[in-house]
Amino acid sequence: MRSQRSQPGPSRALISRLNRNVKPRRARLRFDAEMKFGGTLSVRRYHLGNGLNVLVLVDPSAPVVSYQTWLRVGSRHERPGKTGLAHLFEHLMFNETETLGAGEFDRVLEAAGAETNAATWTDWTYYYENLPSDQIELVTRLEADRLARLVLREKQVASEKEVVANERRYRVDDDVEGAANEQLYALAFKKHAYRWPTIGWMADIEGFTTEDCEAFYRTFYAPNNATLVLVGDLDEEHALTLIQEHYGGLAAARLQDGDAIEEPRQRRERVLTIELPASTEKLQIGYHAPAFGEYAWAVLTVLNEILFGGRSSRLHQLLVNDLEVASSARASIAPFHDPGLYEIWISTRPRHGARDVLSVLDRELNRVIESQVTEDELEKAKNRLELGFLSGMETAGGKAESLGFYETVLGDAGRVFERLDAYRRVTARDIQDVARRYLVPRRRSVVFVRPRNGRRNGKSGAT
Amino acid sequence: MTAEGIGRRPHHRQASGDGVQFRTSDGLLVLLEPSRELPLVDLSVTFRTGSVHDPEGLEGLTRMFGRMVRMGTPELDGNTVEETIAKLGGRLGVETSTSYVRFHGTVIKRNLQPFAALMSCLLRRPAFRVSDLAFVKRETRADIVAARDNDRALASRNFRRFLFRGHAYGRPVVGLRRSIRAIRCEDVRTQYARHFVAPNLILGASGDITEAELLTLVDEHFSDLPRGRAPKIRVPAPARPRGRHVLIVDKPERTQTQLYIGTLGARVNDVDLYPMLVANTAFGGTFTARLMYEVRSQRGWSYGAYSRLGQDRQRDAWTMWTFPAARDLAACARLQLDMLDDFVKEGISRRELRFAKKFLVNSHCFDIDTSAKRLEARIDNALFDLPTDHHLQYVRAVRGVKLDAANAAVKKRISRKHLAICVVATAQEVRAELEALPGVESVEVIRYDRD
Repeated sequence: MRSQRSQPGPSRALISRLNRNVKPRRARLRFDAEMKFGGTLSVRRYHLGNGLNVLVLVDPSAPVVSYQTWLRVGSRHERPGKTGLAHLFEHLMFNETETLGAGEFDRVLEAAGAETNAATWTDWTYYYENLPSDQIELVTRLEADRLARLVLREKQVASEKEVVANERRYRVDDDVEGAANEQLYALAFKKHAYRWPTIGWMADIEGFTTEDCEAFYRTFYAPNNATLVLVGDLDEEHALTLIQEHYGGLAAARLQDGDAIEEPRQRRERVLTIELPASTEKLQIGYHAPAFGEYAWAVLTVLNEILFGGRSSRLHQLLVNDLEVASSARASIAPFHDPGLYEIWISTRPRHGARDVLSVLDRELNRVIESQVTEDELEKAKNRLELGFLSGMETAGGKAESLGFYETVLGDAGRVFERLDAYRRVTARDIQDVARRYLVPRRRSVVFVRPRNGRRNGKSGAT
Repeated sequence: MTAEGIGRRPHHRQASGDGVQFRTSDGLLVLLEPSRELPLVDLSVTFRTGSVHDPEGLEGLTRMFGRMVRMGTPELDGNTVEETIAKLGGRLGVETSTSYVRFHGTVIKRNLQPFAALMSCLLRRPAFRVSDLAFVKRETRADIVAARDNDRALASRNFRRFLFRGHAYGRPVVGLRRSIRAIRCEDVRTQYARHFVAPNLILGASGDITEAELLTLVDEHFSDLPRGRAPKIRVPAPARPRGRHVLIVDKPERTQTQLYIGTLGARVNDVDLYPMLVANTAFGGTFTARLMYEVRSQRGWSYGAYSRLGQDRQRDAWTMWTFPAARDLAACARLQLDMLDDFVKEGISRRELRFAKKFLVNSHCFDIDTSAKRLEARIDNALFDLPTDHHLQYVRAVRGVKLDAANAAVKKRISRKHLAICVVATAQEVRAELEALPGVESVEVIRYDRD
């Protein structure tokens, strides 16, 4: 299964039928590319005259459709003092519009059998509806409506700020791993916007005004900053007609130029110890890692499988099975547009110290720097990654999510299957090179969590 | 790569589906749900044996035998098993609940044969080594300690123990530290030998596998299984709590609480199961249901607010779950109790009934949109001795629910007065407010690290 560009696309007749009698330039549709998706399916990319990007994958395997709206806005587009705005805004998008009362959006879609939700991270925000395939007209109308005609009121903003504050308590303040992870990014990044949490600092959440939200909406929520992804049992021509009809009247916005601030190279290890009401000591480490679009990201992912992927991985075997010093050990590479972190999380067992575990971990990481992994380990890692990749494609929603993510972060949905090819190409030598380049102690940040049973205001210290 | 990020609401959904079914001469039930969409195959073996079969004092034994099966055969140690599964591009999980143990594997199609051979070998010839048991016991005890970091899991587990006091449904599936210590290798072997008999098992296959391929696979790897009967356990009906009682799971420094309020729920074969399901959907089963509207949309008190109707052979739990900030806990609990009063006294409206039915019927396509989901629904039918086409009656049954029946089911099943309330919070900060809740007869406090 591989991705390939090809020219066929829809027939000229289809495009001219779609554009017949469409006067405004911004509602005229242009075919851009067709990309193979696995063995039998293909994705087509279209552009509407107002800059709206549209991906369509017809997949008749179940009578359902996944309709997703990906916006190129995330927490990286915020500024200090206004962190968490992208995420708060995601919540507000489910409120009132000029044509729908508060709560109507969800009520109408739920009655149609839809599952709706959204997510925000550093580089993007996306909204999805998984719904019966005969409801495509409804969802197209409602999504276009809230993209252009959202109504923001003080009461709703205040209520949603409370909800987000609760979400923050749930995910961060009262969650050991969430709290440690937030500290890790704040420690590892000094300039780049990745240093603040997507959910935002509590003080910033509490301080947002309705005007902040309105300004954010005007700046980022526009057809030329969005990609629609439609996957499922749909009639392509009908779906495109609906998109022209409902989005064709929307005007493009003047988008901000480049937002990225390059993170200065970290030159020495940073360590922070925090005390939390935790059951045992924990250890979170972040090595500066490659950006998602780089080949090195794929190589590091294969290495991560060898080190932490499942019960047979090197570190699980060593820390959980052989030495019995940890109850869990896992790691992942942030899939960010700019270089993020290779994050390692270890929860120690009672009576074992996180510093001792770090020494053991260091020895293991040195081993991959000094000698190459075996061919057996490589094969195992690649098979596991293939399984994970295919499992993510089981539903219309899973396919749409992959397409939207690749289109938004890398600018090319066609690269979904290239990533699987990249994993397959990785060699033991590649892994050793990447380990030498990225697993460098002076370029890492470490957060130790010490258990504390008592009141807050415990000590914490950074070096 | 898939998107993660943080979302607006927690996920939750249910399941259903259809395909081929046969029984081998040994009595093994085999179900197939083919699909050529992806080169993946799911294989599962489900035991009709769950934690309700744990003997008193040996809580966690059933889960332990599931975990021990994975530790290998006389020829293969646990590490080699894990290594082989990964090399084949497979994964294997063992899930234990009150009513079943399920070995569930997924593998890339090209490696189906060796993967099935390995699963069969593990199930037929577990080594049950004394040294492995000692390891698994240490691992389980460490997992129990680690689970204390998860407030929601703490609340859920303690709620069940509080609601089902003394009943098998209240036992933690994973066991207790003292019961884990008491389990001997002989106990594990006996539990396995009693329950690993063909008529007690369901073999399920879904994904990229044909009927002919499955027949060959069954013939090669799952024939000549031990015959006989697994011990039947008659699980008594759990007793409803008498009065309103509160359990505080005391954990330091909680800025947020986890609140479970509930009573007994439903049996899978209750005649009023669907009326109850529809009523619960209207009350707290969707994002726009009453509970979410009042708690989250109107007041912003909790990121999530749902009610759930649990079903099992005997009545499982009906629960409301919210997680308000500590400062909002008492107000949120009061509101929920008022809403419950109203739900039981007045029932749901005709408009709510219509909405809930539409939601359940229209969203049913997502219960059956993959072969794995369709298979799971059929396994549940077999597991709970329901008609083989039970899952196919879902839409008809939901459509047939009348308002009177829905409201009568709520009145009959859900009690306003007799409730278990479990909160994970810092006791000192919330105790007095919880004692002052209407109708509360007792407040008990336990430490969060008591397992």
